Amino acid sequence: MIRLLRAEVLKLRTIWSTWMILIITMVLTGGLGVVVGLAPHRHAVEALLYPARGTSRWFDLVLSTMTVSVDLALVLGIICVTGEYRHKTVTSMLLCEPKRGKMVVAKLLSSAGGGVAVGVAGGVTGLVLGFGLVAGGFGDSGRMLTEYRHVFPGVLAACVLYGIYGLGLGALLKNQVVALVVGLGVIAVVEPILDGVVPAVGRWLPGQAAEALESVAASANSRGGGGIFSNTTHLITWWEGALVLLAYGVVLAVAGTLTTLRADVT
Amino acid sequence: MVELTNLSAFATGRRPASAAGVAPRVEVRGLTKHFGSVVAVDDLTFSVEPGMVTGFLGPNGAGKTTTFRMLLGLVSPTSGRALVNGVAYRDLPDPTRTVGAVLEASGFHPARTARNHLRSVAAVAGIDFARVDEVLELVGLGADAKRTVGGYSLGMRQRLELARALLGDPEVLILDEPANGLDPQGIAWIRGFLRWFASSGRVVFVSSHLLAEAAQTVDDVVILANGRLVGHGPLQQLLQGVTTTVRVRTPDAARLMSVLQARGPEAGRVRLEGRDTVVADGTKPEVVGPVIAENRIVVYEMTSTGESLEQLFFQMTEGGQMGGHPIGQTFGSVGAEGYTPLPSQEGSNEGESS
Repeated sequence: MIRLLRAEVLKLRTIWSTWMILIITMVLTGGLGVVVGLAPHRHAVEALLYPARGTSRWFDLVLSTMTVSVDLALVLGIICVTGEYRHKTVTSMLLCEPKRGKMVVAKLLSSAGGGVAVGVAGGVTGLVLGFGLVAGGFGDSGRMLTEYRHVFPGVLAACVLYGIYGLGLGALLKNQVVALVVGLGVIAVVEPILDGVVPAVGRWLPGQAAEALESVAASANSRGGGGIFSNTTHLITWWEGALVLLAYGVVLAVAGTLTTLRADVT
Repeated sequence: MVELTNLSAFATGRRPASAAGVAPRVEVRGLTKHFGSVVAVDDLTFSVEPGMVTGFLGPNGAGKTTTFRMLLGLVSPTSGRALVNGVAYRDLPDPTRTVGAVLEASGFHPARTARNHLRSVAAVAGIDFARVDEVLELVGLGADAKRTVGGYSLGMRQRLELARALLGDPEVLILDEPANGLDPQGIAWIRGFLRWFASSGRVVFVSSHLLAEAAQTVDDVVILANGRLVGHGPLQQLLQGVTTTVRVRTPDAARLMSVLQARGPEAGRVRLEGRDTVVADGTKPEVVGPVIAENRIVVYEMTSTGESLEQLFFQMTEGGQMGGHPIGQTFGSVGAEGYTPLPSQEGSNEGESS
């Protein structure tokens, strides 16, 4: 298993997609953070709703842009397995390790590792952003770091679990484009609709589960409200969110191993 | 231009074959594969012995690749078994060190360098990375090791596949059309390499549609048509059963025909082709030649075809009709020369020369 893991890490390290995902994570986190934190208000209502710059709630809002990492961890997880089929490298992989279940376990672990890398990329960017804003005269570093400590662990955990979830999705669907469309489509389109119509079901879906996990800050902070524009009270608890996400990843990966990945490689 | 290196470089690091004291062996028993209603492989049984090169021949779509993929655990048989050293590929304790396989349609990530591609394989098998550079040198890709595979020509990719197959210094080589995309120099090298590899007591099982090429390389043949085994045995032995065709161009065609017909069945079935060519099917030049001399017939030209792998192939595969094109037309031109570059060769020189 150590050998397989070593190979998986080497493979992730030696394709540009991985580095692109890390760069996109950093650019999006930093860019969105600056926009969210410093963009001029368009009208009075917006100004009223927005927390004052330099406050704890403002830092919370700005640093919550680190959550974009989670979706990118999903993409990395999907690519990790679907890329093997897309480029037909799965053949040489299976010639070395014919037991497909072992290959999937190694990929689950490496996707989790990929999630850590994406989460850290977003986290480091968030930290740089935070200190940059402090240096720019907004708030103080103590307040910023307090908010950072509330947001980052949930984001990192969600990245790891989304990496696994993406891997499971990719293992089941095999086709890269389909897996990406389904993975991101569920979060961006299906979930908001379902959550609006049947919130009792919607809150158990991956996106909402991740949001629950990311809202550790809200629970820890005992502010109840979480983000400024989002109401987190309807979410499941953070640990339920973690378990649900893990279950999604593992169940999908097992299903993928038993169905798609067992199929003939022609 | 890429050059393939001498085998001695490879030989220094190799382990003796059959390290466990048991000769390596490949065998299939009652192997059958259905894809939906299509029977791709139909109750195949044969074994491939070590110490010789065994050719796996058959028209396109005969089931060669499917058989290979079943041997390698990539495709599950509908029934029957495909075994390497007595066990299924999936149960081999160390597959990379037991079997090296070159398959068609096996891929590379275009953005990964050749060296990293092989390293990712070596990492799984626990093979030292130094071996990666060794096999890259062996197949003549040493100078291009750090280039991304996306820029490789077909021939270079084929070499890289071969390098991957050799990573574990295996006991068994399974090669699906290894000459595809290679230039004549590369094909000649492969031929020498396979002979050398087999001579060390290892198994070489290689498919090819280039019959003339295969005829120069293989000792044993397994011939497949429509998923069924139609011939298996030492090439020389199989060739003895092949009838030949003798063609004689002569100004005295009518007389030659009558004297050959008078000779009886030994001279085969005699017919006239055009105005001046007598064709005798199912005979030998050793029969026709003396008849011509005895009757003092002037001959402009005398050729014989047959006792060749092509002839054997046609007879065993009943013409090997495939997609409306008689296989004979495809292979006929190849037989004349030692080797004829494949059409895909045109593009392959671009990458190699850069």
